[in-house]
Amino acid sequence: MSSGKRITLQQAAEIVKNGSSLTFSGFTIWRRPFALVYELIRQRRKGLHLIEVNGGPQTEFLVGAGCVDIWESCWVGHELYGKYGANLSRKVGNKEILVEDYSHAEMMFRFSAAASGAPYAVTQTSLGTDIHNPAYDTLGNAGLRDGRRIPKHKYRFTEDPFFGAGAQVMVPAAKVDIAILCVQQVGEEGTVRVNGQFYSDPEVARAADVTIVMAEEIVPEEYLRRESDLNTITSFEVDHILEVPFGAHPTGMFGRYDVDGAFLKDFYARTRTQEGFDDFAKEWIYGLDHLGYLEKLGWPKMLNLKANTALKYSTGVKRGQ
Amino acid sequence: MDKEFAKPEEYGLADLLCCAASREVQDNEIVFAGTGLPMVAIMLAQKTHAPNLKLIFEAGTLDGRPPEIPTSVGDARCEMGASRSSGLHDAFSIAQRGYVDLGFLGGAEVDQYGNVNTTCIGDYLNPELRLTGSGGNPDINSFARRTVFIMVHEKRRFTEQVSYITSPGWRVRKWPGGETVHRRELYGAAYRGGPSAVISTLGVFRFDDESGRIYLDTCHAGNSPEQVRDMCQFDLDITRVSGETLPPTREELHFIHEVLDPGQIFIPKVKPV
Repeated sequence: MSSGKRITLQQAAEIVKNGSSLTFSGFTIWRRPFALVYELIRQRRKGLHLIEVNGGPQTEFLVGAGCVDIWESCWVGHELYGKYGANLSRKVGNKEILVEDYSHAEMMFRFSAAASGAPYAVTQTSLGTDIHNPAYDTLGNAGLRDGRRIPKHKYRFTEDPFFGAGAQVMVPAAKVDIAILCVQQVGEEGTVRVNGQFYSDPEVARAADVTIVMAEEIVPEEYLRRESDLNTITSFEVDHILEVPFGAHPTGMFGRYDVDGAFLKDFYARTRTQEGFDDFAKEWIYGLDHLGYLEKLGWPKMLNLKANTALKYSTGVKRGQ
Repeated sequence: MDKEFAKPEEYGLADLLCCAASREVQDNEIVFAGTGLPMVAIMLAQKTHAPNLKLIFEAGTLDGRPPEIPTSVGDARCEMGASRSSGLHDAFSIAQRGYVDLGFLGGAEVDQYGNVNTTCIGDYLNPELRLTGSGGNPDINSFARRTVFIMVHEKRRFTEQVSYITSPGWRVRKWPGGETVHRRELYGAAYRGGPSAVISTLGVFRFDDESGRIYLDTCHAGNSPEQVRDMCQFDLDITRVSGETLPPTREELHFIHEVLDPGQIFIPKVKPV
C-alpha cells in the first residue's frame, strides 16, 4: 500500500518557509540531512529559527548562507575536523544572528517535553551556570517571547513540591514547525528504522508539527513490519518521505558511509570569512543538484567512505590526516 | 609488558596528560567521557588497570567496548560491543539519575573554583570569540561524583573569573540574584560531588574539600611549583605539592600508540631521536 507521502527534494525544501522553525536528526557530524540543507540554501530560504539538540555542519552551512536569524541550541562545531562553528561565531560577533544557549541535557529534555505534549520539563542540570543568568536571555532581550512558538520565559526556577529535593529548573518544551530526518530506511507508509544510535531522532520527530524523512532507501513497509521491535519511529508520525542515497554527505551514516572528514576540514578552513563561505557555496552548492553533487565528489571518494558491512564504518578513511 | 617508567625522550606531553588522566579512573566505575584526549585516557584505563569500567558516551552508546579510538562520541566505533545503543535521552537520564562516577571533560577556561567556560571569550553580549558552546559539559559535571578536566595551560585560561560559567565548579551562582554559593547548597538532593582534578599541560591540580579552591598537586617534569603559579591569574596554592607527575610506563605508551591511536588521531607519537 502506498501512502502518497513520497515527495521530491525540491518539494521537501518548499515545505520549509521563510521564518519556519526547524530541527534535524543526527548528532554533530552524523546523519545530518545535507541534501535538503543544500536545497534550502539553493532556494535562498531566509529567517529560519533553528532549534537543535546540538548543532553541527548543517548549522554552519545554513548560517554561513544567511538562511538563519535565530539559533537555539548548545553546541556547534565539526568535532575533530573543525573545532568550533566559525560561521556562527562570525555572525554572533557581527550581531547578524541571535543565539539562545541551553545545555545539551536541557535541549534534550525540552524536546522530550514537546514530544510528550507537556509544556515544560523539569531538571537540575546546569544549576549555578551562566546559562541561567537572566541578563543572558537573548530572545527575551530582543522582545521575541510571545508565548506562542517562542516561550514566554527562557526558564523558570521552582522547588520540588513533592519530595523536597530542592532547586529545580523548568525548561520550556521545544515546539518546532518542521523536523528533517536523515536515516537508513523508511517504509512506504513512513515507518522509520534507524540503525545504530538513534541520538534524539524519536523525540524531535514527535515534537515537530511536520516531519520529513529523507532516507538512503525507501523499502517495502511490510519488510519493516516483520520485525517491528527494530523500528524507531511510527508511520503516522512521519508526514513526507523521500529517497536520497548519500543524502547525509559530508556527515556520516552508520553502517552505510563514514564522515568525510577531509571535506569538513576544507569547509572549516575556507569559511572563516564570508567571502570564503560564498566561494565554497559557489563551488559545492549553487548550480548543482544532488546527482551533480555526487558526480562532483566522484566514485573514488564515495567508495572510500563506504562502510564495511561488518564493522559499520569505513576501513579506507585515514582519520588522523 | 614492561611496566617500567619511560624515559623523558620516549614520550610527549600528550602521552603524559593521557596517562595522568587515565590514572584518575578506578576499576568498576561508570565513566562518561567527551571527545578527544578524554576518550583515549579512559580507553587506556580500560586496557590497563580498570578492565571493568563502564563507558557511556552522550550520543547514546552504553557500556561499549570500542576496539579502536572513535573519532567522537557519535561515531560508529562507539557502538562496538556495547550493552545498548540508544540515544541522548537515555545517556542524560542515566547521569541525572546518579549512575555516573566520573566525568572526563575539556574546557577553554577554568577559574580557582573549577568553574569552566566553553561558550565565549569576553563579554557574553559582545563576545571577542564565540566558542562551541556547552555541549554536555555542564550536564556531566552537574551529576558525576567526580569530574576531571584536561586542559591546555595558558595564563589567560587559568583565570580569576571565567568569562562565562558554562559548567559548574565548587562555588557557583545562585540565580536569579547571582550570589556565589557552595555547589552543595544549590544542588540539594542532586548533589553528588564536583570537579576533582584539572590536568593541564603544566601540572595536576586538585580542589580543597571544604573551600573548593584549587591547589597544585604535582608538576609535570621541567616545571617548578613557582613557575606553575606564575602561569595562573589567581593566587595558586602551592603548599600542598606532592611531587612530580609520574611519567607514562612503557606499557601505557604501547597501548596508546600501538592499540588505541595508531593513526595518531589525538596523540602524536614522539619520534625517536
